[in-house]
Amino acid sequence: MMADRRRINGPPGGTRPAVFASNLQSGTSATDRAQRQRQPSELRKIFLKTGLIPTASGSSYLEFEPSASLAAARANPKSLIPPSSALKLACTVHGPKPLPRSAAFSPNLVLTTHIKYAPFAARQRKGHIRDASERDLGVHLETALRGAIIAERWPKSGLDITITILEAEDDRWWGSAPDSHDASWGMMNVLAGCITAASAAIADAHIDCLDLVAGGVAALVSDDSASTSTVAPKLMLDTDPAEHRSILSACVVAYMPARDEITELWLKGDSSKASLEDGDDRTGHEALIDGAVDAARGAHAVLAEAVRESLLKTVGQA
Amino acid sequence: MAPPAATAAPSVPPSLSLPPSQFARLQPHAYLLGHLSPPSASNQPSIRANGRAPSQFRVTSANAGSLTHTNGSAVVRIGDTAAVCGVRAELLHTEDIASWSVSQASGSNKRRRLADLGEKPTEEDEDEDPEEDRAHIEDLNLLVPNLSLSTGCAPGFIPGAAPSALAQSLSHQILSLLHSTRLVRADDLRVWYQPPNLGPEELERHNDEEQMDVDAEQSATAEEKPREIKAFWVLYIDIMIISLAGNPFDAAWAAVLAALRDTKLPKAWWDVDNETIVCSDSVADARKLSLRGLPVASSYGVFEADAAAGWRANVIPDAVEENAQAQKDKKGSPERWILADPDGYEEGLIQERACVVIDKEKDGKTTIVKMEKNGGWTVDTEDLRQLVEMSARRWDEMKRILEQC
Amino acid sequence: MTGPTASLSHLSRADGSASFKCPTTGYNVLGSVNAPIELPARRDALKPEEATVEVFVKPGNTTAGVGERYVEGILRTMLQKVILGRERGFPRRGVVITLAILGGDAVERGDSYLTLLPALLQTSLLTLLSAGVPMSMTFSTALLAVTKSGDIISDPSPVDAKTASSLHVLAFSPKGHLLLNESQGRFDFDTWESVRERAYSSCRGAVITGSDGDIAMGEEGEDSRAEDFIRETVEDHLHRDYAWKIDSA
Repeated sequence: MMADRRRINGPPGGTRPAVFASNLQSGTSATDRAQRQRQPSELRKIFLKTGLIPTASGSSYLEFEPSASLAAARANPKSLIPPSSALKLACTVHGPKPLPRSAAFSPNLVLTTHIKYAPFAARQRKGHIRDASERDLGVHLETALRGAIIAERWPKSGLDITITILEAEDDRWWGSAPDSHDASWGMMNVLAGCITAASAAIADAHIDCLDLVAGGVAALVSDDSASTSTVAPKLMLDTDPAEHRSILSACVVAYMPARDEITELWLKGDSSKASLEDGDDRTGHEALIDGAVDAARGAHAVLAEAVRESLLKTVGQA
Repeated sequence: MAPPAATAAPSVPPSLSLPPSQFARLQPHAYLLGHLSPPSASNQPSIRANGRAPSQFRVTSANAGSLTHTNGSAVVRIGDTAAVCGVRAELLHTEDIASWSVSQASGSNKRRRLADLGEKPTEEDEDEDPEEDRAHIEDLNLLVPNLSLSTGCAPGFIPGAAPSALAQSLSHQILSLLHSTRLVRADDLRVWYQPPNLGPEELERHNDEEQMDVDAEQSATAEEKPREIKAFWVLYIDIMIISLAGNPFDAAWAAVLAALRDTKLPKAWWDVDNETIVCSDSVADARKLSLRGLPVASSYGVFEADAAAGWRANVIPDAVEENAQAQKDKKGSPERWILADPDGYEEGLIQERACVVIDKEKDGKTTIVKMEKNGGWTVDTEDLRQLVEMSARRWDEMKRILEQC
Repeated sequence: MTGPTASLSHLSRADGSASFKCPTTGYNVLGSVNAPIELPARRDALKPEEATVEVFVKPGNTTAGVGERYVEGILRTMLQKVILGRERGFPRRGVVITLAILGGDAVERGDSYLTLLPALLQTSLLTLLSAGVPMSMTFSTALLAVTKSGDIISDPSPVDAKTASSLHVLAFSPKGHLLLNESQGRFDFDTWESVRERAYSSCRGAVITGSDGDIAMGEEGEDSRAEDFIRETVEDHLHRDYAWKIDSA
């Protein structure tokens, strides 16, 4: 790799992440595996605050409540390996502002979204340049917001939304080996958080929207060990991938409750094997989407409260 | 928006027909000047537009260790400027260092010679050869600080673009200061390995680092193989400026300092069977870095009453004459103010800047680690002396904040 | 001790150029300036009332990195103050200075740049003089090191600079104002004051009356003042340019 002349580079030969002795011996720490303590439909608490970054037109900071295992590990640290992590991100909105001279005419507000992980956000060190998954997240976020913003009110203007992820969610429990159902499940939680935070920041910037759009995640998980795999997977809301043995399918939605509209839907994995209650004749993916919408409704309540706070603050200032 | 004609009479704040926020935008210089030199009749104190006294720093808070995936982390807020710093440690195996075998041989010889002569280096580095310490940290790139402003922290920094000149310059200043203050000890970053002797009990002991120093001296005659460095910890120090409202350097440096103070490195040893470095995940085994001192940065800006002072082809009086003149009219209103910790608004009105980095010894003696001034000709010895004193007071405050976090 | 050497205006396509060689540090810097010129690519960044000063530093053996960005920032802040960017023809235009480091030790990663800074400052000043860019003043620079034993040495060699306990770069205006100070290392304020005094005398030749009279200007002597060096370089150049006129007179 060419050395990046615009950054300070590490040793030319590269470095290796630390390998822990407990990882090398198999099966020792299976007992400390993170376990979900919440009910299947119980959501994690969200900390959401707006207006912390005064140089931006609008801003928000979002934090998910740490899982029970992480909270325990924090209170009484024993191992350097964190059992799971909790999403932390900062979002800023700049604009509406004039488009750059070189840009073509646009009758609508031009939305630009940008999501970047801090190098220390995940278990593996992230690069300084945006990778494919970060670009992907940006595109998903843009779709989610574009449906909510009333863009024709700002012709010839641009709106920049920038999200910095300080701590991301894991894709699976750190000790498990990657398996066939493996995908970047953590990314879906990150997207849900980004949608909620961006929505709060846009409201903080006083950009007209149809409704506050909130993000929610639901997943089909099978928590039993491999021997009893006959048990069908269960539907859970707001899943922390580190707390589950295997996630078969997951879904993120960006949802506007007032209009009962979904602006963005992202569904991944095999949802055909869902075990639903008797008499429930929804298909697996229908149940999954409903679950995600329920999770989004929960996030919306937090969002509405944060926006109310932001409004009271501006009214108080005037 | 009011017509610009309404602002034609600046520096008369009482008769304003504009709300203060508009006036601040249209006539920033007059606005700040009006605050700093209120009409003598009004009996108001000279105060900055943000409500601070000229020598007052913004409210500072620090919080360490809240990020899960780091070896050490900190969030520092200085007013509305916020910096998040995360330290991640990775291993650099000596076999991955191209020039290692050569430099290592010469390095250890030197070390040995020093020990033979019974020479004790300066008291602050009892067991440390300063040159080797420097060479390991600086030549092997063990400290990798990078600062990012592409976080939406302020308008004007395009997210996703390469680091701006300011970000690059700040990254460099942080690295340069880390090197020149020798804040991190190379010995904290070394992973040693003692090749075992024949006895079986020696094998048990080979990863017992604490005992090593003592052992090495006691049983030097027992034909022990010299212990060798198998790897170094490389500290990736990433600083995200989350919110930028002036004076990023002080906040970034404070965040780096707090994060390094929070940094814990796992115990690591050379695993002979796997031929690699293995770490213990036990928190009890991990140890903190032992940093050298606590250098604290304080930045200042000079606000000049004469808005034209910066560009008029004026005749500048001789420095000595000017000093005498300044002594004479000390009673009168000052022509310039040195503003501590300028915010974003003030930075736009400031050309001359100064930055002082201070550390204090255990006996309370002030040591200057770095002193810069640039961009003007008004600050000289007397002002710098005051700035050093002001920075020393700031050091006490920052020490308290950093120790609480 | 041989002093630095310099020559002016030897690049024909630039508005102004100069090269500067310092034998003690071994640095050899070639500078060029174009001013005032249009900067169409930077239309949004141009200031309506004054000229935009841009400085580029190119290391001899590699591409520019973060360290160059830092030293460019110092030079820009300093030169912006000295250049009269509001003179006729300058507002909304650019003053672009390019400094190429041709000789001397390569600057290492994370290095302070202090040893190189005086050479860069002198070269940019000579370059600006060569192009006739209006300036409010000239300046002279000094590089000093304080050794571990507390001695002050001016123009330290690269080896001295490396082992010094602190390094200082100072620049003074012709009227004795301190324009720039960059100090790094470990020192106290009293040390800095004597460093300033020493720098002042090496730049301006006069010693401010101080308590310790032993700071002699003997070793430099009146004729090797940094300030005079600039004047002599320009005088020599003028003399050569007007040789035909002087000869015919």
